[in-house]
Formats: sequence, structure tokens, C-alpha cells
Amino acid sequence: MTDVQSHPTKLSSTAFKGPNFSLNYQQRRWLGYIIRYIIAAILIVFAFVPVVWVVSASFNQAGSLVSVEVIPKHAGIANYRGLFENKYYPFLTWLRNSFIVAGTSTLLSVTSTAVSAYGLSRFRFFGRKTLMRAILVISIFPAALSIIAIYTTLQQFGDHVGILGLNSHVSLILIYASGALSINVFLVKGYMDSIPLEIEESALVDGATHAQIFRMITLPLAKPILITISVLTFMAIYGDFVLPRVLMQSSDKFTVMVGLYLFQSADYAQNWGVFTAGAVIAALPILGIYMLLQRYIIGGLTAGAVKL
Amino acid sequence: MNKQSSVVPAFLTPSTMLRLAIVGVFDAALMWLILQLLGDGNYPLAGILAVVILIISFCFSLDQFKPYRWLGLSLAFTTLFVLYPILYTFYLSTTNAGYGHILTKQEAVDFLERQQYVPESGQQYKWTAYRSLEAQDDYVLWLQAEDGTTYLTGLNTATKPAGLDQEGVGPADDKGIPTTIQGYQRLEKRDTVAMIDQLGELAFGVSPDVIRITSLSVAATTQQRYTYDDKNDTLTDHETGLVYHPKEGVFVTEAGQELPPGFRVGVGTDNFNRFFSSAALRGPLFRIISWNFAYAILSVMCSFALGLFIAVLFDSLPGKEIIRALLIIPYPIPALVSILIWRNLLNPDFGALVKLQESLFGTAPHWLTDPTWTRIAIIIINMWLSYPYFYIVSSGALQAIPTDMLDAASVDGANAWQRFSHIILPLLLKIVSPLLVASFAFNFNNFNLIYIFNQGNPPIAGSPIPAGHTDILISFVYRLAFNSAQSDYGLGASISIVLFLFVAAITWGQFRYTRVLEDQTA
Repeated sequence: MTDVQSHPTKLSSTAFKGPNFSLNYQQRRWLGYIIRYIIAAILIVFAFVPVVWVVSASFNQAGSLVSVEVIPKHAGIANYRGLFENKYYPFLTWLRNSFIVAGTSTLLSVTSTAVSAYGLSRFRFFGRKTLMRAILVISIFPAALSIIAIYTTLQQFGDHVGILGLNSHVSLILIYASGALSINVFLVKGYMDSIPLEIEESALVDGATHAQIFRMITLPLAKPILITISVLTFMAIYGDFVLPRVLMQSSDKFTVMVGLYLFQSADYAQNWGVFTAGAVIAALPILGIYMLLQRYIIGGLTAGAVKL
Repeated sequence: MNKQSSVVPAFLTPSTMLRLAIVGVFDAALMWLILQLLGDGNYPLAGILAVVILIISFCFSLDQFKPYRWLGLSLAFTTLFVLYPILYTFYLSTTNAGYGHILTKQEAVDFLERQQYVPESGQQYKWTAYRSLEAQDDYVLWLQAEDGTTYLTGLNTATKPAGLDQEGVGPADDKGIPTTIQGYQRLEKRDTVAMIDQLGELAFGVSPDVIRITSLSVAATTQQRYTYDDKNDTLTDHETGLVYHPKEGVFVTEAGQELPPGFRVGVGTDNFNRFFSSAALRGPLFRIISWNFAYAILSVMCSFALGLFIAVLFDSLPGKEIIRALLIIPYPIPALVSILIWRNLLNPDFGALVKLQESLFGTAPHWLTDPTWTRIAIIIINMWLSYPYFYIVSSGALQAIPTDMLDAASVDGANAWQRFSHIILPLLLKIVSPLLVASFAFNFNNFNLIYIFNQGNPPIAGSPIPAGHTDILISFVYRLAFNSAQSDYGLGASISIVLFLFVAAITWGQFRYTRVLEDQTA
């Protein structure tokens, strides 16, 4: 490569004598690096402006809304204290609700995804192909589009069984978990298809039932893909806003996302610092999960890109 | 399969019995709910629950359907909470459901038939309530007619004349009202006030002389005000003698007088006609739809361009791991949190970015109130939110491009730009184009960003239905259903259907193109 590059460089340097205009290969490479580092710096600033700003504002005790200082003069944790001691906005309850709803839904959803994927991968039965196509078509329909229907359905259930009605975590969890038969099933099924059948077949010969094989062989082998979809599902449900916003009606049932939105729509000046503290706290769990399981998330995203 | 089954018939093993018992309990509970819903006249929901019962029973009762058990529960719940809402959206789109037309006809009739009135012949009393010492919801009333005679009445017990000397009636207070009645405790004035709504629901005495509490001091013999005639499909008001006929989802008299509440009825394709050809809606809808397309296309293009730019530019840079870790930061932050922060940064009164722009340029755009600037802000925010995704995906796809092709191009004298535009970009586009389509479909219905950032505002002046300059169709649907004073579920549902068909067509084309259907459903 160096040979090919250096040859025309020599020619050009004899053509124009000015040493400032022609850089040798080494210099050009360094110049390229410097330009790229500058671009990287600009982009990192773009990426971090909202993050740095909200963190700095959350520690700013001055209470002034117009603060633009990066490092506040009166740093302290007053906003965080205000957040947890706020009488009108039960932030801890919201946080707990979010974890209960997202955790339970993810558990149910991933379990039923794994079970369904095993059924589709290991058995051949009448209507299997039709069923898979139907699942693909249904999973296109964005939940936000059927929100009116979901709302009225729950309203009608609620008249007879309160726990399946509006303002109930149970119905919210069931709706999230029911979304399990989605594109995820195909990811897991594809993964299970690639697990060699020999082990399972010998287990069958030894008298194991399919339930035992699923639990003791297939599930452990499919762990990487299950972790990936668990993390992505949890992040999606934790961050969801539309469903809890429409379906939950009393403050003690809200999730943290709905709650944060409320901070915003309520009186600005009063909730200002509290909101920034809430935003930081609400983002931390997801950031933590992401840092821990980054490998699975990025792996899952790129796998989805290459496969689908 | 196991040893037991050869000795004992399969249906007798404990696990089979347990399974059948669970299925039985589940089915019975659903049956009960179906009966309740049928009572409301809610046939669609009752029907889908019957389908759920069928699925569960089919999958879990017979041994020859074992493979279906793996899918049984998921199928049942998908049917109920995913498929049914989709079908129900189709149904709603053909009805007038919405403000004043929420109930089914049966529910509206039931509601009206519960209404009472005081006929002219009706007797009025002063009342005092006593609550049972045993049951919370059992009461008796001590009644004083205008002529001074007194009566005692209870729930579902006939009203009888009663005197202070009667057995079980305690000593009278200074107004001549007994302080106790055997087994019951007199309600204090303040309890009466607090419970007046509950008490008003109760019917004392036996039909036809039902006595109800009509105010804090008066109880009266009341009669059912409306009766519905099944055969003629009419509703009669006994107080005024008017006869109502159902018309377009509400009971009306010959003279056109309407009786709320209305109920929902089919209106055929009216909603779709309104969507496609209403003159009043055309202006705002045209704006919403064109912005919807521009927004989705620009969002995908800008985010992808930035993500790809970063991936290519820093691919071989020393220290790219650190840069990558830093640049991905927007990805793991919940979108709602990010959008709210951006909203605050751009707030005209105290937003930090607005202050910065003002100090640099002396003026700042009206990010939340000027239609053009709000749209630009939305595109920039969406870029910030989604470039990390395209960055991750593009770097993954870059690894899949064979390096020998690039080396060969270098040998032939191609410069960096030529290598990028002639080799890397075409190959990369081939890999990520399904993702671009999916991202377009997602952004086309990206309610969160639009609603959380500015709720679709600034508003479009003069629109017959409230709409905003940054509203996309899905946020307009939300306005129609939940945000405006006169919610219109029917029109909202029909727009949802149009959106769904649009997204389905795109996705279907994409599936055909990439052969996902053949590969994935193998």
C-alpha cells in the first residue's frame, strides 16, 4: 500500500515545489486523525448536552430556572430530597410500579416467547405455517393504533371484574405480556433451530419428556438470545408512556414515565429541580442494565440487522 | 410415553386430572364473564371470550393435540389483548362511538329504565334512616307523612303504618322521631349528608309502591320513568307521555327532542368518507398527512446518515472504543426522559439552549411556538434519539463487507470517497434497507416524540377539530379520542385503520422483498 501511495506523491512534489501544500503519507494520516478527533469531540458535545445539563441542574440548589452553569455554585442534594419527600407526587411508588409492571411483564412475556418458540421449532402440526404468518402480520400492528379499542375493552371488563379493568396493574401487565407472540418469537425460534437436535433426541430415547428437555437442555442453551430479548423488552416496557398514561387513572397507579410527564405539565417553577432529579433517577436503572448487558444488546441489534 | 400410561388410562393420572381441573375452572370463570357481557348486550367481547375458551379447551384437554399446548396460552392471550383490539378497532371505525355514544343500546336502555320519577299521586314523607347493626348495607326508614301518620319501611319489605308505642321502636326525641329501632342504629345528620348518594340508590318498600329518598329531607313514592318496548323498539316516558324512537344512536321524539345518553350504532363507511372527503377536515388533514410523511422520511434519513457517518469515519480511528461508548449515550436513556429534557432546553422562558442562542446571536428561534422551528426541533431531537441505533447497526454491517474488495479498489487507485460511494454504501444499503423501512414505519407512528415534545402544537388556527402543526395522524387520533371535549372514537378508529393498512402494505412489501416470510416461517 505504501509503495502505491508514495509513487504519485513523489510525482506531485516535483510538480509543485511548495512544501506546505504537499504532505507526506505520515503527515496526511495525522491530519486525518486530528480532523476526525475534532468531529468526534463536536459529536460528543452534541450527545452529552442534555445529559450533562440535566445532571448539573439536578444538583443545583439555587432554584433558579435560568441557570446555565455547568458546575452549579450551590451544589447539593436538595432536589433529590425534595423528590423523595414530595407529598403530592409519590415518586417512590411510581418507581416501584414501573419495576413491578416491567419486571412481571418481561418475565411473563419472555417465558411465553420461549415456550411458543420451542413449540414452533420442535413440532410439526397442522396450521403451523399459517399461524406463523398470522403472528408476523399481527405483530405489525402498532399497539398505539388500537389504544382506543384497548381502552374501551378494559372499560367493559372493569364493569364486571375490577382487576381486569382500567386503573389496574394486572390488566396492564396482561396487555404487555400478550404482546409476546411477536417478532421476538422468530428470533428465539431461529436460535433454537440452530441448536443441534442430537442431544435432545438422545434424551428422548432415554425417556425424558419434552417438558424436561425444554427446561433442562434447550432453555439453558438458548440463554444468550433470551437475555437479549429480556433486556430489550424490559427497556421498552419501562420506557413506555402511552399505555400507562391512558389506562392508569389514579396517581398511585402511575408508572415513573407517566409521573415524570406529570411533573412537566404541572407548575413549572415548583417542580423544576424535582423533575431533573426524577429524570436522573428514572434513567439510572436502564443505564445500569445497559452497562451490565451491553454485549447482549449490541449483539442482538446487529444480529437482527444481519438476519432480518 | 411414561410407564404409568400403559397401566392406568391416560385420563386418570393425577397430572391429567389436575390439568383438566384447571382448564375447567378457567373456562367456568370465563363463562361467567361471558354471561355478564351478554347481559350488557356486548356481543363482540362475549364472542372473543368464547374463542378464548375454545382455544384453551382445545389445546389442553385432548392428548392428541399436545404440540398445540406449547402455544395455547400465548395464543389465547394474543387473541384477547392483541387480535381483539385490532378487530374491535375495525368495528369501531364503522360506528358513531364517541362522546354521547359510549354505551351499547342495551346499556343505554338499562340506564334509562333505572330512572325514577314522582308521580302526581305520589305520597311524600319526611324521612329518618337507621342502619342495621349487622349488615352494612341494610337500612330501614322512619317516614312521616304530611298528615302526621308515621310508617316504617325497609329494603324489600312492605311499608307499614307504625307508631311510637310499637314493639322494638325506641323512645322518641323532641321531634317525635324514635332514637332507636331494634337491630338498627339511627344515622346522625352528618352521616346522612355523607351517604346521601348511596341512600338515593336504594329502593324501599315493595313494587309498585317503591319509596325512594329524593332529597335530604324528602322521600317519596316513585315509579319507573321510562319503559322500553322491545317489539316496537320505542321508549315511553311515563312522566310526560312522550314516545321516543331510536335514531342515529340516540332516542328522539317525533318533534326531534333527544334523550341522553346516546348509544353506538353502525354508520357504515361514514367515518372513512369524512376522513377522505370532508371539506372542513381537508385543510388540517392535508397538513397533518404531508408533515407525517416529511417527518418520517427526514427522521430516518438524518438519523441514518449521521449514524453511518460516525461508523465509517471512526471505523479505523485509534481509541474508537471510547468514542463509541461515549457516542452511544442517548440510546440507553428512556426516550421520554430525553424528550422532556430537550423540551426544557428549548423552553422559550428559561431553556438553557435558548439562553445560549440569545447570548450568542442576540435572538433565538421560537422552538415551541413557531411551526417551522418546532418541526426542525423535532427532527433534530429524533436524530439525537436514534443515530446511536444506526451507528450500532452500521458498524455491525460494515464488518460484513469483505475487505478484499476494498483492497482491490485501493490497488486500482480508488480514493476514500470512491471506495465509500461505490462499494461500501451500496453493499451497506442492501443490508440495512429492511431496517430503514422498519424505522420509517415506526417513525410514521411515533406518537411519543410528537406528543411528549409539544403535544402536536402549535395549534392550527381555524381547524374544526383541534389539530396542531406538528401533529401526525396517530397523535391526531389521540386528540380525537382522549383530548378533545367531544371525543370521536369512530373517526379515530377509522384513521387507525388507514394507518394500519398503510404500515401493513409497507411491511408486507418489505417481507416479500427480503423473503422474511419464507425464511422465518420455515
